[in-house]
Amino acid sequence: MDADLLFSINPGSPEPIYRQLVEQLRRRIASGQLVAGEEIPSVRELAQALAVNPMTVSKAFGLMEAEGLVERRRGLPMVVAAQHQKAMKTRGRVELLRPALEKAAAEARQLELPPDQVLALFKALLEDQGEMR
Amino acid sequence: MTHTHTLTQTLHETLDHTMPISPAQSRSLADGALDAPPVSASGLRVDFKGQPGVLANLDWTLAPGQVVGLLGRNGAGKTTLLETLLGLREPQAGEVRLFGQPALIPDDALRARLGYVPQQSALFEDFSAGDLLRYFRSFYPRWNDAKVDGLMSRWEIPRDRRVGQLSQGQQQRLSIIRALAHEPDLLVLDEPVASLDAAGRRDFLRELVDQVLDRGTTVLFSTHILSDLERVAFNVAFLSRGRIALHAPQDALAEEIRLLSGPVGRLQAAVDAHGGQVLGRRDLGEQPRWLVRFPDGRLPQGDAAMRCEALSLEDLFLELTQ
Repeated sequence: MDADLLFSINPGSPEPIYRQLVEQLRRRIASGQLVAGEEIPSVRELAQALAVNPMTVSKAFGLMEAEGLVERRRGLPMVVAAQHQKAMKTRGRVELLRPALEKAAAEARQLELPPDQVLALFKALLEDQGEMR
Repeated sequence: MTHTHTLTQTLHETLDHTMPISPAQSRSLADGALDAPPVSASGLRVDFKGQPGVLANLDWTLAPGQVVGLLGRNGAGKTTLLETLLGLREPQAGEVRLFGQPALIPDDALRARLGYVPQQSALFEDFSAGDLLRYFRSFYPRWNDAKVDGLMSRWEIPRDRRVGQLSQGQQQRLSIIRALAHEPDLLVLDEPVASLDAAGRRDFLRELVDQVLDRGTTVLFSTHILSDLERVAFNVAFLSRGRIALHAPQDALAEEIRLLSGPVGRLQAAVDAHGGQVLGRRDLGEQPRWLVRFPDGRLPQGDAAMRCEALSLEDLFLELTQ
């Protein structure tokens, strides 16, 4: 897959770029869009496609490897690690959303919003990604 | 292109897939290992008539292979700082060393290691673009013709046109090509965003990525507008009130800095309990706001009485450079 299709960066986010890259790869693997053996772009390809520092990409790759998402092979492109044969079950995928939703829930409580309105907003966002706000 | 350089490139193509690239590796592969820091400034003071402390006892060091974005508001003294670092301006006090040598008396070998793209390009207007490059070529022991030719055609600069007849953007791109051509070890760019549109920036960033990977080039650029350019900077530094207020990897800033707001007693307790360093505080009004760095990575939790927010680079820029 092309580097700039596989990853994108949100520069306005407080989340560091290397973490954005790791989390995006994690989601692609969890959903089965990427499976074991698929090649990951090189540091150079990704740094150029995203216009980020190569060290940032290296740091992301280091973390991806440490977490068992990818495997390095000497002199060859990295690949998605062997244990990721197919998409994660829905139950597990939903758990990946937990941190983001916990944060949203805390903010909703601070704003003292009624749960049904928060859920309605979330539902609208899920269904109508193109016309947010 | 020298044999060494080709070998370096080949090695890096291999390394790309096998291990993280560290600046140290890039450096040891580039011709000539460098021990002294590319830039080391101590006690810099620059006063202008009626404007004392443009630089006020400024200390700063850049490590080899770093890509640093120097952020500061308009008029914060970024150009003055860059000129002083490069030895183009003599400070009232303090000293700059470039690769261990005094910046104010550079020899030819040191000059060959420096590349500078000023904000206002001061290129000779009557030369044709091609003649200008030939002229500068004669001063440098190394000159990458392939890179120059590639960039000249990609950036659509006509070689036979007089520099004075090129557009402002073309002149600045020519200035960037001139600064990259001799493959400097330290590349300094003053507000490069101003001269490049989005596509030009992307192309320029690709060049920078290549430079950093192939040669371990140290890059310092200034900017007062946040754009896509900062992404290529692993490190950012904030110039405020004549000093470097903060210089750190962007990742660390995102992970360690929080904006706390709440009652002063509560803020102080959070700072004490988590080993925080207060970078700035605004105690006016009912809701004091403190900008705090937690270098241990232990972050306080926000609650009903105290908000604890992570900041984007843009927010941080606004907080740190006001």
